Amino acid sequence: MTEGLLELRDVSVSVGDKAILRDVSLTVGAGEAHILLGPNGSGKSSVLSAIMGLAPFEVTKGDILYRGQSIKGLGVDERARVGLGMAFQRPPTLEGVTVAEFASALDASARLATEAEALNLGDFADRDLVVGFSGGEIKRWEVLKLFLQAPDFLLFDEPESGVDLEHIAAVGAAVNRLVSAPARDGSKRGALLITHTGLILEHVQADMGHILSGGRIIHSGPPKALFQHIQKSGYVAPAA
Amino acid sequence: MSDGKHEARDGLNAGEEAILRRVGYDGAAARSATSVLIDHELRVADSTLDGVEIMSIQDALMRYDWVQNLMFNLIAPDENELLRQAAELLHDPIGRFVYVHDGAKVSLPVQSFTVLETPQKRQFTHNVTVIGKGAEVEMISGAAVPENVQAGHHVSIDETYVREGARCRSVSIETWGRNMTVDSYSRSEIGAGAEMTSNQIMLASLRRHLSDTKTHIGADASCNDQAIIFAPEGTERNFQTEVFLTAPGARSEHIARMVSAGGRIINNSLLVGETAGVSGFLGCDGLMLSDDGEMVATPSLKAKSVEAQLSHEASVGMIDAEKLAYLMASGLSEDRARDLIVQGFLRLKDEYVPEDMRARVTEMIAAAKSGGM
Ligand SMILES: Nc1ncnc2c1ncn2[C@@H]1O[C@H](COP(=O)(O)OP(=O)(O)O)[C@@H](O)[C@H]1O
Ligand SMILES: [Mg+2]
Repeated sequence: MTEGLLELRDVSVSVGDKAILRDVSLTVGAGEAHILLGPNGSGKSSVLSAIMGLAPFEVTKGDILYRGQSIKGLGVDERARVGLGMAFQRPPTLEGVTVAEFASALDASARLATEAEALNLGDFADRDLVVGFSGGEIKRWEVLKLFLQAPDFLLFDEPESGVDLEHIAAVGAAVNRLVSAPARDGSKRGALLITHTGLILEHVQADMGHILSGGRIIHSGPPKALFQHIQKSGYVAPAA
Repeated sequence: MSDGKHEARDGLNAGEEAILRRVGYDGAAARSATSVLIDHELRVADSTLDGVEIMSIQDALMRYDWVQNLMFNLIAPDENELLRQAAELLHDPIGRFVYVHDGAKVSLPVQSFTVLETPQKRQFTHNVTVIGKGAEVEMISGAAVPENVQAGHHVSIDETYVREGARCRSVSIETWGRNMTVDSYSRSEIGAGAEMTSNQIMLASLRRHLSDTKTHIGADASCNDQAIIFAPEGTERNFQTEVFLTAPGARSEHIARMVSAGGRIINNSLLVGETAGVSGFLGCDGLMLSDDGEMVATPSLKAKSVEAQLSHEASVGMIDAEKLAYLMASGLSEDRARDLIVQGFLRLKDEYVPEDMRARVTEMIAAAKSGGM
C-alpha cells in the first residue's frame, strides 16, 4: 500500500457532546486531488476543519496523518507550517489588517501583485481582509490567500460557490495551478476539495470522489461519474 | 527626515532632538513653525512663515491684549484644586501661544512639544492656540521625557480656538516616564463652518493619566476625533470627554480604540445635542489582552432637541478566537496573529493623519504592543 500524503484513519469528530463525523477514512496520495460531495449539513466542512485543527471540532477517535506522521496533537499554526492550507468557506473579517500586510507577514509580498491580478483582485492590496468582500470576492480571496501561503496540501471548501460566471474560469484555473504546482521539496502536492456545483471538475483533474452523508463516507468512486449519479439519484450510494 | 546631520539645532541638543523625533519632531525644512518647551522654559519658538506666530504665552500676553481674554476662558480655575494651583501661577505662566492668522494656508505642519527633563519635577503648562478665520493648518504636538525620567507630574491646560471656516488637522503623540502622573485639560471651541480633525496617540506606559476634554462645536462646523489608547500593566488612563453640538449643522464623530494589556482604562464620554439639526456619534471599542486589566466604557448621549441625531456604540472584548485561528491557519504564530489583530484594531483612519506622520504612527503601534515603549 502506498503511503498517502494525507490520511484519515477511522476519524470520528464531535463538537461538545454532538457527534459530527463517524469513522471517516480516506487517503489522498501525492499528486492526487479528491472531492467531497454531500448534502448540506452532512459534515463536509467539518472534515476540513478537523484536518486543519480548527475549534470547536474535536477528534474523538482515529488519527489524521500527514506525510505518515500524526498531526492530531499539532495546533492550527503548526499544521499550516508542516504544509496544510485551507480556503475557508466563511472566513471571518479582520478589521484593520490589510491584504498587503497579511502578505508581508507571510513573506509573500513579492507574489501578491501578480496572483491578485490573475484573480481580478489587483486593487485589493489596501483592503482590510474580508471586510466588505462580496461572496465571490471572498472565494477569490481565499484562493489568493493560498497562493501567498503556498501550502503543499490544499483544502478547498466550495471554492466556486457564489462566484459569478465571469470569474469562475479564473478561479478554476487558479485552483488548478495551485494543485499542480510542485510541493516545496519538489514532490507533488495533494488536494481535498468540497464542491457543491461540480463546476470545479471542469478545471481540476480530480482522481477520486467521496459522498458524505450523515457524517459518514457512504461511497467513493471516480468523481465525474459520482457527480452525474448524484445529479440523477441524489446523495445515495449507487447500487453495486 | 531633514537636517539629520545637524546637532543642537534651534537650541536643542542631540539627545533632546532624538527623543522628540520619536514623537513627531522634524527640522525646520519640514515644518512651518516650531515650539519646544523644556521643563519650565520655552527653549524654541520659531516660525518661518508670516502667517504663523509661535511664542511663549508671556510674550503673547504682552503683544496682544486679547490673549488674556483667551486664558481661563474655556476652562474655569475653580473646577478643581489642580486647576486652581495652575491659575495661581498665572502671573508667570509657562506655555506656548500659536496664532495662525486669518486666511493663512499653511502647507507645512506647525509643531509644538513639551519635554520634562528633570526627574520628579512638577510641570504646569498652559497653551493657547488660535487658528484664524478661514485658515488651514496641520498641527503636530507631542510630549516626551528622556529615558532617565521615570517619575514626575505634568499638568497641562490647552485652550484651542478654531475660528470660523478654519480647517485644522492635528496629531498628538505622547511618551511619558513609567511612574509619571499626567493631568491634561483640553478645551476647544470650533467656530461656525470650521473643520477640526484630531488624532491622539496614547500608547506609552505611565502610572496615571487623566485626560479631561470639552469641545464646543458651532453652526455647520465639524469635529472628528480619533484616539488610540494602550494601557500596559501598571498604567491607568482615565478619559472624561464631553462634546457639545451647540448650533444647527454641528457634526461630530468621536472614536476611541482602547487596548488593555493588564492596565486600566476608563472612558466616560458624553455627547450633547443642544439644538435641532445637529448630528454626532460616539464610538468606543476596547480590546482586553489579559484578564488582569480593566476597562470601563460609558458613552452617554444627551439631546435637548427631538431633532438632534445622536448615536453611540461601545464594545469591550477579547481577541476573537475565530479571527486568531484564521490567521494561524495560514502559518502565523499565535503572537504574530495577535499583533496583527491588535495593530489593525488600533489603526487610525489614514485620511485623518498628516501624511508624513503615518509611517511613524504605524511604528509606534507595533512598538507599543511588543512592550518596546
Ligand atoms: N461549530 C459548530 N458547532 C456545533 N455544530 C456544528 C458546528 N459546525 C457544524 N456543526 C454541525 O455539524 C454538522 C455538519 O456541518 P458541516 O460540516 O458544516 O456540513 P456541510 O459542510 O456538509 O454543510 C451539521 O449538523 C452542523 O450543524
Ligand atoms: Mg460546508
